[in-house]
Amino acid sequence: MPSLSFLKSIGKTFIFLYKSNFKLRLGFTLILILFILGFAVSPFSPTSTRTWYAVPRDRPPSPEYLLGTSSMGRDVFWELCASIGKSLTIALITALIASHIGLFIGLVSGIRGGLLDRFLMFVSDTFIIVPGFLLLIVVISIIKSWITIPLLGAIISIVSWPWPARQVRSMVLSLRERTFVYTAKLSGMRTSKVLLFEIMPYVLGWHLVNFTNTILFSIGTESGLAIFGLSILGDNTLGVMLYWALNYYALFRGIWWWITAPIVTLVLIFISFYLVSIGLSEHLHRIIG
Amino acid sequence: MLHASKKSLLEYLATRTIMYFATIFSGITLTYLLVKAMPVDAVENIIFGLTQTVAGVYDPQSINKLREDLYEIFGLTGKSPLEDYLIFIRRVFTFNFGPSFISFPTPAFELVLRRLPWTIGLLSVSTAITWITGNLLGTIAGYFRTKKFTKVLESIAISLYPVPYYIMALILMLLFAFLIPIFPLGGGISVIPESINLELILNIIWHSLLPALSLILPGALGWSFLSSRTLTLEVLSEDYTRYAEFRGLPGKYVLRRYVLRNILVPQVTVLALSLGGIFSGALLTEVIFAYPGVGSLAYRAAFAGDINTLMAVLILSMIAVSTAIYLLDLLYPLVDPRIRYR
Amino acid sequence: MEPVLKAVNLKGGYLLGSLYASASQQGSYVDAVSDVSLELFRNEIFGIAGESGCGKSTLIKILYGYLEPPLVLKDGLVYLYTKEGKEISITSTSKEQLKKDVFWRHISYIPQSSMNVLNPTMRVRDHFAEMLKLHANMSKEEAYKEAGKYVEYMGLPRDVLAAFPHQLSGGMRQRVVISLALLMRPDLILADEPTSALDVINQQAVLTMLRDSQESLKNTIVIVSHDMGIHGVVTHRVAIMYAGRIVEIGKTEEIFEDPLHPYTQALIKALPRLGDKAQREGLSGRPPDLKSPPLGCRFRPRCPSYGSQCKEETPTLIEVKPGHYVECWQYST
Ligand SMILES: Nc1ncnc2c1ncn2[C@@H]1O[C@H](COP(=O)(O)OP(=O)(O)OP(=O)(O)O)[C@@H](O)[C@H]1O
Ligand SMILES: [Mg+2]
Repeated sequence: MPSLSFLKSIGKTFIFLYKSNFKLRLGFTLILILFILGFAVSPFSPTSTRTWYAVPRDRPPSPEYLLGTSSMGRDVFWELCASIGKSLTIALITALIASHIGLFIGLVSGIRGGLLDRFLMFVSDTFIIVPGFLLLIVVISIIKSWITIPLLGAIISIVSWPWPARQVRSMVLSLRERTFVYTAKLSGMRTSKVLLFEIMPYVLGWHLVNFTNTILFSIGTESGLAIFGLSILGDNTLGVMLYWALNYYALFRGIWWWITAPIVTLVLIFISFYLVSIGLSEHLHRIIG
Repeated sequence: MLHASKKSLLEYLATRTIMYFATIFSGITLTYLLVKAMPVDAVENIIFGLTQTVAGVYDPQSINKLREDLYEIFGLTGKSPLEDYLIFIRRVFTFNFGPSFISFPTPAFELVLRRLPWTIGLLSVSTAITWITGNLLGTIAGYFRTKKFTKVLESIAISLYPVPYYIMALILMLLFAFLIPIFPLGGGISVIPESINLELILNIIWHSLLPALSLILPGALGWSFLSSRTLTLEVLSEDYTRYAEFRGLPGKYVLRRYVLRNILVPQVTVLALSLGGIFSGALLTEVIFAYPGVGSLAYRAAFAGDINTLMAVLILSMIAVSTAIYLLDLLYPLVDPRIRYR
Repeated sequence: MEPVLKAVNLKGGYLLGSLYASASQQGSYVDAVSDVSLELFRNEIFGIAGESGCGKSTLIKILYGYLEPPLVLKDGLVYLYTKEGKEISITSTSKEQLKKDVFWRHISYIPQSSMNVLNPTMRVRDHFAEMLKLHANMSKEEAYKEAGKYVEYMGLPRDVLAAFPHQLSGGMRQRVVISLALLMRPDLILADEPTSALDVINQQAVLTMLRDSQESLKNTIVIVSHDMGIHGVVTHRVAIMYAGRIVEIGKTEEIFEDPLHPYTQALIKALPRLGDKAQREGLSGRPPDLKSPPLGCRFRPRCPSYGSQCKEETPTLIEVKPGHYVECWQYST
């Protein structure tokens, strides 16, 4: 079966990358741990992470409460696990939407060129120059009461597609100049086929990089919005954890474990996805040049 | 030989200026379209929320005025879409965003204007410091690419680069609250001033140190450092740099006149491109350190659902960021002779 | 005849380490300069000819003494004799020392890609000024003044000084680079393909400039070019390189009228001549890969008249006539 061998070759590439690139190895491992905590471990929480006063308040870390408890009476460890899961979900939704919009627009822009290209790039430049974060603040303030996890992911993607679009476009433009595309065209292939067979394999690699970067951007944006009180404050996300910890002055009251947990986790998420992103681009640069 | 230069400089300025206005205009249009695309009952939702939370503050008359304002801002007056759009544009260009909710009936525009100097002050100073130190460090790191301290700096940069400014601000807060409690953790000033004097200025600077540091650190060791290091490596492999060494010019001189001078050109572009991100980061930094700028205002407005003030913040920030980028563009011919005379 | 430079048994090439090579080429060595010995005299224009990739630029870099990785010198000596009568061993002097005392004062270099060797953000006059400040301890004002006089002396329009490099034409830029190389009146100027990026008119101008300056300064200029035509026009003596070795050296006229090495003969035969309608025949085959050059004579695979000796033993340069050397078994008795 062709699809099986395709999967096999993807698997092989993955294993090769994992073995050959330290940045990728470290990044992948950290991400794997985060995913396990967020999706496999979090359902086993003994207490609710969304109700108030499920456990005693303000307890420091101990064998019973690994990362202590918050002033809202939640077990910080289990709240953290649930938050990792939800934050990653939001980020994956954003990445799925935004990087594919970016891919589509980048391809259209790069291949069609001309006036359409100019228009699309002007729109994406506008998005890049306008403070996107403020745009999101305005939008979310309006629909604050209807917001859900998938909706939040979708809304963040409004401002996240221009970077992938620019990236894919410049990739297509540089590929178009290369001789193999010319030879394919000269040999009588239709433009769409040239695209499919010659450009896509290269663009897909960068698409993956864009996907990773968008995850990074989305997690950062969600936590920023949450600090503004514009996330789903009744649910568990890393940003919401930060919001409540800040709101209860956790730092000034000496409840450092409450605020440190999401901060450290966020930093780990940023670094691990960034490592994967640069590891991948290094690899792509090496094979494509 | 340099005949065509003046004309092309003018041409350059003209295109930049047109682009500047076009960007602002398209940014405003974008905002309009987004807000218009929101669910239809947004206005009533906001009014309802207001009357619930701060009931009694508003008399029915001003509520009605507010409702009208909102319908105009949301482009929902029931007239044709074009008319709606024109009304919106007119309001924006006359800076008439309606009254703020958080300190009714002060116009939202005025509220933002009062806070703007704080934000611009913090942002311009810290961005300038970031850009200069980041470039110096990056160039040195690129030049001495095999040295040990370069590797250390690179590892720090790679860990700092993906961390957003506001997370950095939180980390600094953790550090300075517990380990070295020397800086004030919040506020713009500790005493209300009677007049402007040296003491007051020092006090403001003292209070801005931590927020500024949280903006400078991830920039100078992150984006600015990394981009200038990459550029330095590129410039070092250029024929003209290698030939300078071949001619026996000393390393320090080559670094200054050849490397640093030539990375300056693309680094201005990098700065312009990252300004939008820096601005958003600064807003959150303000919230975290309770710095009395636009960010803190936006925070209060978002909390109270004060859409007028948020709109004013958005549009004015857009203008501020675009203007900063425009000014950088005007600077460009000064650092790149190829543009000046092309 | 007074020598300016002596090179003895130079062996050098590119060591392809992990940084520069893919896994398959790991640790391979490009034998770009093999057993080259050479003597240059004061007051001459010396040419180095040979097809692309035969090691001309590599030889020039080794003579100049500024080696950057992956280029390494495995063996050999280079001596420079200054007009003050000093002997400088280039191969045993540190790079820093060369930078301080030798480069530009005694020997200067015009690299192959000299179209892009001027700083795009610096005016032409500052390129002259920085060298004058460095080597003649002039102040900025003095240096500008001197640069103005010098540029006029070299026959360039004075307003090139205020221009940025990109404002000048290719030919003008090349003449600026040459003027820069002559600025400190060095004993020896190494010019690597000074004309190959130029059109015919500019080629003429640049060659005239080089020849005139040599005549008035009585220094030594080495001109590297793959174009035999250029050597015929300007050089006094010429060396023919093939696959990393010098196969023939002699007076230019002698080489053109009576070429000895079969490779040189092919090169000369391939030159177009006035009134000659016959098809010019070229050499068949391609030069060897310098990562694994053939044993024995390197030209043997393309040689029209090789013997059994050529396969096993590498020939050495022998003096066939006074001042005319060739590296070929045909001429050894
Ligand atoms: N940086 C390098 N790394 C590896 N190999 C090199 C490098 N530079 C040159 N070479 C190889 O060394 C050999 C000699 O190159 P060199 O540049 O000296 O030739 P050349 O005679 O100057 O040719 P051209 O006329 O093209 O300038 C060639 O086979 C070339 O491929
Ligand atoms: Mg060469």
